[in-house]
Amino acid sequence: MTLGASGDFVLFVVSIVAGLLGALGGVGGGLVIVPVLTLVFGVDIHLAAGASIVSVIATSSGAAVAFLRDGWANIRIAMFLQIAAVIGAIVGALVAPAVPTQILLLTLGGVLLISVAMQLARLAEEPAADVHPAPDRFRLGGRYFSLRLRREIEYQPTRVGAGFGMMAIAGLVSGLLGIGSGALKVLAMDGLMRLPMKVSSATSNFMIGVTAAASVGIYVSRGYVDARLVAPVTLGILIGAISGARLLPRLTNRHVRLVFVPVLLLIALETLARGLGVNV
Amino acid sequence: MTDRDLDRLMSVVLVIGVIISALLIALGFGASFVVGWTGSLTGATFSQVDPTDFSSLIERLAGLQPLAVVQAGLVVLIATPVIRVAVTAVGFWRERDTLYTAVTLAVLGLLVVSLVFFR
Repeated sequence: MTLGASGDFVLFVVSIVAGLLGALGGVGGGLVIVPVLTLVFGVDIHLAAGASIVSVIATSSGAAVAFLRDGWANIRIAMFLQIAAVIGAIVGALVAPAVPTQILLLTLGGVLLISVAMQLARLAEEPAADVHPAPDRFRLGGRYFSLRLRREIEYQPTRVGAGFGMMAIAGLVSGLLGIGSGALKVLAMDGLMRLPMKVSSATSNFMIGVTAAASVGIYVSRGYVDARLVAPVTLGILIGAISGARLLPRLTNRHVRLVFVPVLLLIALETLARGLGVNV
Repeated sequence: MTDRDLDRLMSVVLVIGVIISALLIALGFGASFVVGWTGSLTGATFSQVDPTDFSSLIERLAGLQPLAVVQAGLVVLIATPVIRVAVTAVGFWRERDTLYTAVTLAVLGLLVVSLVFFR
């Protein structure tokens, strides 16, 4: 798949915008670039996923540095759940070529909708609280310092089995579509395991690159990692995501961020419509 | 080496990995505008011009084929999370945490299988 030299440049600029939009809208760049490549540029969805999965590794490895420094990521939870996510990702990447494009588009649109909804919920912001369920066999509990409450918050996960299952689904979706599935990972940790939001999102970001690495080898061997497509997309998303992360702390007014939500919502609806075979 | 040092080492490894791969990808992408994706900056010619095929990478890299330079960047990029998991395993081992050393090695094993086995 190539669009010629000028097409390559257009793709590069579009990917910068996708990375920026993803970072400011609170979703991954992959979740934006896969539908754009597929719906706007007419790229085969597997090649789009192959390009996206590489960009996911790049942004995750870049972001992991900050999360390690902040100390919110729980490495034990990350590695424990990673087993489920990695197995899911391998299965997802293996079955992806056999899944009809319509189904992939519907899944993609669904994940986008969930991500946007979660972003809106997070803008409403919930108060942090100590959670004390039964002690856990896997020593998954931890503590973090809440800047807002100015004290250490202790936490223990609940429903570890359900979280593990949800993480396998997140991995499956990541392998199928070449996205990070950060929203589904956060849903598993924050929604099912009742971990604090900060811990959930930092741990999810820490995990994403490793999950992506589990399916990228299969994408390469299937011929879905086209260097001509991957180069502009990965560079663009990396530049966009880094700029977005720099810009984000300056956007103190959270309503500014609400500008990006309708754009993401539009992409989600368009993707779902195309998945249903409707040309909007 | 303390845990803190290990975290710092891991951060440095990640940053260096991403920077090297981004530079290689940028270099290859830039060069593609000059000599085309399957051309050569040294004037060499290649039999392997399939953009999705990573074989004969060293030979094409020596001939500075833009495609190969990008692919080399991708190999470095894919290696960074694998190294991250390996360093994490070392960290748990040093803490004498056998449960999590095993868990992390299981993840590492699955990664290696997915990268080596399915081709």
